[in-house]
Amino acid sequence: MVLEQQLLPYFQWLLTGGDDQIGALPTFALVFLGLVMAGLAVGYAIAAARHGLLRGGDVTYHTIVDGLREIIDTSPRRIWALARLAIKESLRRRVGVALGVYFLILLFANWFLSTNHQDPARLYLSFVLTATTYLVIGVAVLLSAFSLPGDFKSKTIYTVVTKPVRAGEIILGRIIGFTIVVTALLAIMSLGSYVFVIRSLDHAHSVDASTLERIVDANDSTIGQSGRTTTDAGHFHEFKLDADGYAATSTVNGHTHEISPAGENRFAVSGPHGFVRARVPQYGKLRFIDRNGADKDRGISVGNEWTYRSFIDGNTPATAIWTFDEVSPAMGQQYLPLALIVRVFRTHKGVIGRPIAGQIQLRNPETKATSDPFPFDAMDQQVAEYNINRELTTNNGQPIDLYEDLVSKGGQVEVLVKCLERGQYFGFAQPDCYVRLPDGSPAASYAKVCVSIWVQAVVVIAVGVTISTLVSGPVALLFTAGFIILGLWRQDFVDIATGKSYGGGPAESVYRILTQANVMVKLEESVLTSLLVGFDRFFAKPIMWAVAQFLPDFSAYSTVEYAAEGYNVPWDRVFQDVTTCLAYVAGLALMGYFLLRTREVAR
Amino acid sequence: MLLLSLATLTVTMSDEIVLQTRALTKVYRDFWGRQKVRALKALDLEVQRGEVFGLLGPNGSGKTTTIKLLLGLLFPTEGEALVFGKPASDVGKNERLGYLPEESYLYRFLTAEETLDFYGRLFDMPADVRNQRVDELIKLVGLERARKRQLQEYSKGMTRRIGLAQALINDPELILLDEPTSGLDPIGTREMKDMILRLKDEGKTVVMCSHLLADVQDVCDRIAILHQGELKELGRVDELLTVADVTQIRARNLSAECRSEIRETIARHHGELLAMDNPTTTLEELFLTIVRDSEARPGRRAGVK
Repeated sequence: MVLEQQLLPYFQWLLTGGDDQIGALPTFALVFLGLVMAGLAVGYAIAAARHGLLRGGDVTYHTIVDGLREIIDTSPRRIWALARLAIKESLRRRVGVALGVYFLILLFANWFLSTNHQDPARLYLSFVLTATTYLVIGVAVLLSAFSLPGDFKSKTIYTVVTKPVRAGEIILGRIIGFTIVVTALLAIMSLGSYVFVIRSLDHAHSVDASTLERIVDANDSTIGQSGRTTTDAGHFHEFKLDADGYAATSTVNGHTHEISPAGENRFAVSGPHGFVRARVPQYGKLRFIDRNGADKDRGISVGNEWTYRSFIDGNTPATAIWTFDEVSPAMGQQYLPLALIVRVFRTHKGVIGRPIAGQIQLRNPETKATSDPFPFDAMDQQVAEYNINRELTTNNGQPIDLYEDLVSKGGQVEVLVKCLERGQYFGFAQPDCYVRLPDGSPAASYAKVCVSIWVQAVVVIAVGVTISTLVSGPVALLFTAGFIILGLWRQDFVDIATGKSYGGGPAESVYRILTQANVMVKLEESVLTSLLVGFDRFFAKPIMWAVAQFLPDFSAYSTVEYAAEGYNVPWDRVFQDVTTCLAYVAGLALMGYFLLRTREVAR
Repeated sequence: MLLLSLATLTVTMSDEIVLQTRALTKVYRDFWGRQKVRALKALDLEVQRGEVFGLLGPNGSGKTTTIKLLLGLLFPTEGEALVFGKPASDVGKNERLGYLPEESYLYRFLTAEETLDFYGRLFDMPADVRNQRVDELIKLVGLERARKRQLQEYSKGMTRRIGLAQALINDPELILLDEPTSGLDPIGTREMKDMILRLKDEGKTVVMCSHLLADVQDVCDRIAILHQGELKELGRVDELLTVADVTQIRARNLSAECRSEIRETIARHHGELLAMDNPTTTLEELFLTIVRDSEARPGRRAGVK
């Protein structure tokens, strides 16, 4: 699974942050302070323009003081009344249609989803969760963007603001009400999706009796039978029954079945196992040795623009080395459960139909005791699971114990991976090799994915409600949609703002488009280009940078990939997302309060 | 002692003024900040506790703008509006205030009960108090049989009644009514006027704006007449309407001789007789009599004398 950013433990993320970033709480405080200062400056400028310098200051002061007092006077009963109103309004606006659309999509989903796929669970989960995300966020945008403007248009807001209702209560009531609606929608959709996926993937095989063959030992005694199942759902499984008639089938399309005797020459085949999983990885730290035997932080580049993985060249000393901490027999008494994902880069076809060979060794980082190489066939981008036996031998055939001899006193072990074929390359990123801890509950992990969808929807609601205090429904809709789109491509946006990407800022880009000059062409020097570059540098980019500071990274919120790839969503991730969501709601509600408080309701 | 008395007097007087505007001015501007219209020009007003005050004027005279400024729905361009001594922008004033807008801007997907319950919650009223108040008000405005119906099924008159009920949910001291009889039939109009007078009897202060002169005349103690955003007249209705140089005599069962004698007497004293005839009732009175008669004797043509 691709993890481009390292997931920090919750409290580290919250307080101190990682290598090149400060903690979330200090970041929030800085952004909040920045916004407050900017809000004060803009508010005073408007008040001064309206009422003069002194009176403007007085108005600004009273707005802030009254605002703080009103926050204290906030009434949960009033907020709940407004939330209930928002729920009723949503129902009146036929929000249930979204459910109808969703179930219609599910009804026809099997037309273009196939169980006869290399990883059907990934296909199904990815589809249903993506559809759920889009629908829920779509509903969130529509509800939040049109609600308050609708009240302004119908003037029903007059009868609300002339009651002792604080502007903040109107904002919070709307946000809470729509959040409840969206939560209910999401719960129904998620439950429906889960049932749909499980039922769609479920299938049954039976043993194809015509394929059964005896397995004999050296004395021609029968020690079992081999054969295969019938072809159902577009595939079959091979198996080897033991003498008692039990077997686990081969893994096909990401699942197996269990076979057990059911009478004389009759066998029962269980339902599929392993379709939906929640793997729990324990990641290590990755470093490299290059072809000359020198230590490196990264391997070599094979020319990919995406630099997530770096590569080691085959049949050279080049090695990828993961160091795992806290390794103990608790991970597996008889073996160390490892998983490895290899990105294979071929410079020649090699032997057609044969995978590229590689080897795994375990090494004690202190004593440097190393196990005999364990060969494997690299399947490109597949999760290969290996159980490294506890009883191993060294390079020179001496028996060693994995936990006793290869794990250091500090509980560390190194996993060394090499490519064995000349002219071929293996690509790795840090999360590509991990120790497999016992799987989590797939249903619980699925629920955590739904929480991440919920987080996105709530942020969208908060944005929609806040901006709708200021502008009409369609404009609020456009703004919120723009906010989501910018959030989805936040990193690109930041790269433009900080000058990391080619092609300059917005003004330079427009010039390049009009003059058909690609981003690598140097701009000719003229007064116009100097003006455009200056505009970008001193105006557009600083604004973009400021906007980027409070722009949510929607692409990072999605945990759909976790479920689709069969990984457990870490609790750290869930807590981080929910905390971020609450920070957005608090900040936006405060912003919405002042926007609503300082606008004329009857304008 | 004297100082104390003066202070008490000041407090009492300021406490008696429920609503006050000082040089209240409102200029509507366009998107670019250019002046579009000066809706209200330096309005100075004071409304005393317990009176029914009418804002009178043709369409576009600034009545509704004044009400909106008093409610804090609009911000003054200049001057200030005080309600219970607090700036109009202070939300706290709304605790003691009820407002019936020009049209009952209510959530049409709610029932009457839900509507009043919702507004009750906005006053942070506990459930038992709220339920009791909802029942009282629904009874007061005569909507018992329609309490479970959504407002979108209501006639205009019914909507105005539930609008009035929501304005009274908090038993307010000050009630602002914007065109309270707008869209009501004569019976509804009469009921609304009776309601205003009842509120006055209960010691409430009512400020209403209307361009229906008869309505204002019937219920208001004092009026302000606005025209093109300017205050043109302010005073007690009875004083403003009194025509000092005309004497009106109303009598019943006068003979022709007596009438002739009255004419002669007026002529003898050099007075000018303007009119002496049988008065006509108002169309409103006629209509109400017919409807009441029809309700009392269904199916029969009303016989009005």
